[in-house]
Amino acid sequence: MTKKLSRREFIKLAGAGAAVTVLTGCGPAARYVRREPYALMPEYNYNGQSTYYATTCRECPAACGLVVRTMQGRAIKVEGNQRNPVNLGKTCARGQASLHGLYNPDRIRNPLKQAGRGSGNFSDLDWEAAIQVVSAALKENRPSEIAFLLGLAPDHLFDLVNDLTKAIGAPAPVRFGALSMFESRVTLSQAAQNLFGKAGLPYFDIGRADLVFSFGANFLETWLSPVAYTRGYSQMRKGQSTRRRGTLIQFEARMSQTGAVADEWIPVRPGTEGLVALALGRLVAEISGAPLPKAFAGVDVAAAAAESGIPEETLHRLAKQYADATNPLAIPGGAALAQSNGLKNAESILALNALAGNLGQPGGLFFSPAAPLPDESHPASLAEMSELIQKLESGQVKALFIHGVNPVFELPKALGFEKALKSVPLVISFATFPDETAMQADYVIPDHHGLESWGYQRALTGAGQPVLSGAQPVVAPYYDTRATADVLLAAAAQAGGKLAEALPFKDEVAYIQSRLLPLVTTPDGPYTAPEINTFLASFQQYGGWWQNGEALTTPVGAPLEKTLAPGVAEAHGKGEFFLLSFVSPVLGEAGANKPWLQEIPDPTTTVMWNSWLEIHPAAADELGLHDDDVVRVVSEAGSVELPVYRYPAIRPDTIAIPFGQGHSAYGRYAQGRGVNPLDLVYPALNEAGDLALAGMKVRLEKTGRKQTLARLESRMGVYGEDEH
Amino acid sequence: MAENTIKIPEFKAEWKEGEAGRWGMVIDTDLCTGCQACVAACAMENNIPFVGETDAAYGRSMHWLRVERFWEGEYPEVRTTDFQPVLCQQCGAAPCEPVCPVFASVHSQAEQINLQVYNRCVGTRYCANNCPYQVRVFNWRDWERPEPLNNQLNPDVTVRRRGIMEKCTFCIQRIHKAEDQAKAEGREVADGEVIPACAQVCPADAIVFGRLDDPESRVSQLAKSKRGVQLLEELGTQPRVTYLKGA
Repeated sequence: MTKKLSRREFIKLAGAGAAVTVLTGCGPAARYVRREPYALMPEYNYNGQSTYYATTCRECPAACGLVVRTMQGRAIKVEGNQRNPVNLGKTCARGQASLHGLYNPDRIRNPLKQAGRGSGNFSDLDWEAAIQVVSAALKENRPSEIAFLLGLAPDHLFDLVNDLTKAIGAPAPVRFGALSMFESRVTLSQAAQNLFGKAGLPYFDIGRADLVFSFGANFLETWLSPVAYTRGYSQMRKGQSTRRRGTLIQFEARMSQTGAVADEWIPVRPGTEGLVALALGRLVAEISGAPLPKAFAGVDVAAAAAESGIPEETLHRLAKQYADATNPLAIPGGAALAQSNGLKNAESILALNALAGNLGQPGGLFFSPAAPLPDESHPASLAEMSELIQKLESGQVKALFIHGVNPVFELPKALGFEKALKSVPLVISFATFPDETAMQADYVIPDHHGLESWGYQRALTGAGQPVLSGAQPVVAPYYDTRATADVLLAAAAQAGGKLAEALPFKDEVAYIQSRLLPLVTTPDGPYTAPEINTFLASFQQYGGWWQNGEALTTPVGAPLEKTLAPGVAEAHGKGEFFLLSFVSPVLGEAGANKPWLQEIPDPTTTVMWNSWLEIHPAAADELGLHDDDVVRVVSEAGSVELPVYRYPAIRPDTIAIPFGQGHSAYGRYAQGRGVNPLDLVYPALNEAGDLALAGMKVRLEKTGRKQTLARLESRMGVYGEDEH
Repeated sequence: MAENTIKIPEFKAEWKEGEAGRWGMVIDTDLCTGCQACVAACAMENNIPFVGETDAAYGRSMHWLRVERFWEGEYPEVRTTDFQPVLCQQCGAAPCEPVCPVFASVHSQAEQINLQVYNRCVGTRYCANNCPYQVRVFNWRDWERPEPLNNQLNPDVTVRRRGIMEKCTFCIQRIHKAEDQAKAEGREVADGEVIPACAQVCPADAIVFGRLDDPESRVSQLAKSKRGVQLLEELGTQPRVTYLKGA
């Protein structure tokens, strides 16, 4: 299989590819992507010259725009699309490594049928048969017995499936992803609803703030729209609008990468973030001399200090800083919300913004602009996922379609998704990679990789204006895969009846065109077009459509008149340590199958290729644990074993495990590597129905074994510090 | 001195004290968030192989660019130093150059950077041993790159084999491309026209690249900052990379 490439072979290969891919033109004809022999290459594609295509990054749901450099039909390098307002020409490490997904050796190459779920006993299927399977599943089951589970991205496929389910009266597709769960997005949106009467993702104007209190928001890593927020952070540091260097204070039990660049890291006890926010609010109000708002009246500062483990003097000092700042901003992060009192925590932290009077002000709190195309969905909370799982388990669902998400891996094991699948007679996965969920499916009908696909995607937050990021294939599909939208359209046509009537589209591009129609006449875009074909050509060239002016909206309401009493979160389970699982800043939720992401050191620990357990050195000493000692972490829900990393910047009563590894499938680079902390998580929920992920207690057991972690630190250069 | 003394050729670059050098970089560590996007971009642009867990644990990973951080203080006042991307400093007086027995590590007169001539390199590793910044990496094996991952290889950059030393080139292929383009159009390369992969991707805009011999360029302006320091300045290696420290 593996072929090593000599330099000579490489030059030969690069110089005269036997077959090259040609993307013809930019008009509607561009949907027909063909592989052509080199001799037939169109005149604009010169040998030795690169061609660039704008598309959308699919590594997370932030909808950053990409421009991919291709050469002779091969994608060579990903860059950010400078025009896309979300990322303005930049990308993160995951976006860079998306080519290792495109050219991953373990991709699914054609439709498969599995004899016995989990057996790995796959046989090839031709496309006619695959479409027949989908068509029969849609036609022969009652609408209420059909379920669609989709990924987080609010994209054209979601719209298509939504149209499809509406047409036949099936339940609306469910959107889920681990990122949403770790970030408690539903809680954040619910808190906004409670305080300002409008649900939705708030937009935090970090770029124009001069003091940011971040309560565990890892906005430089994976949180909501990391590239956009990193740009905001950079502007804040440069003082671009305030003419002063902005300050970042991070409140969290374990120093994240974001906490590492903060000016001050405050190790707050997990579950007391809301209490701390209220105490700070009270002190700020007292300093400013204004009458004490109702929201902060009920808190006792001394008690809050004792509960949170933050000295009272520190609270006073921070409150003074907040009161003195011109544009202070408070951000509630995922871990603070993933607690039994998470919703109250979110409200308390958001109330600090109202106290600062920064609602709708530069450097303050806004609502993200509404997407150019209306979005009829929201990510599912864990409560909604539990409902779905119950439906699966009770046998109500006869056919389950899964696309863009890997729930067997991304949901806590204790929730029982994998077990519930056993009660579903037909499971169809549209996975690009052989992930854990595909391994539990009867049929795998592979979609193209994101860089081979058409589409559009709404940017939910990150940019000040409404953004629809566009996607087009940058290379011809490498394998015998087919766009899931095309498969569904073909299946609908075959099924006939209402389905065929509701989806009378020739292919995916025709569907996308139909959805984009309203934008052709919408003013204030980056380009104008007389009709849809010309519009689509510009849509492809620009990499999407966005409004020119800012369209952030101001939250209204009187949150300070609300009584807030978050109290201290109830921790679930027994043990001496809080368990904090966080999304790996490098791998994200689905990066483990990309070898170069695996080899990128974790920013704070420098560990590569594995999972580790972070424990405070003093706590480790008490247990007699050294670096690389393997420990067993035991919770109510399960146990995992992994090596120790003595982490100096974590509370002694807390341990932390990154999420991203621990795959039992997903290709050679991911499989059998590290552990999944979700195996430990007991599915307790907060008031908004999100997972109380950060409110777990666990205990540690020594195993007596050692496993050396691959770390960059102490092993720099050719001659490491240690002997090997 | 007798006139018949054997004249030892001057291997070192002909640099003068205080000379600007042509291409240079400024990295603002106050802006760097340690996100590793530069590391990924560098690997993708420069055909850098991955080595796998075992070899990475032995310190054989091939990063041309790494992000350093150090711990300071004790809990709860513990903090990390600013994240600091470290790459080849393209020294004006490079310690790696005079030790190479086969002239594989040489100074480029045109770009004023340190070159590594792969097809001269015989793998003595003297250069890596002598580099105070530990930024040279050695190909201990022909690293596996299973098909079809090879489709991603950048045709502008050589693929290296076992036994060869490699390091950051300031994305010299991008420099040449911009220079060729400018020459074809009969003009000078404009400031900001050459952007190495790491600077292009940086979401915090912490990395700035350009001509140090052009006093008007953004990189020259930034390099003059009072916050500017060079790594291991006291060694007199004349690095072309300036770090902006502090706030």
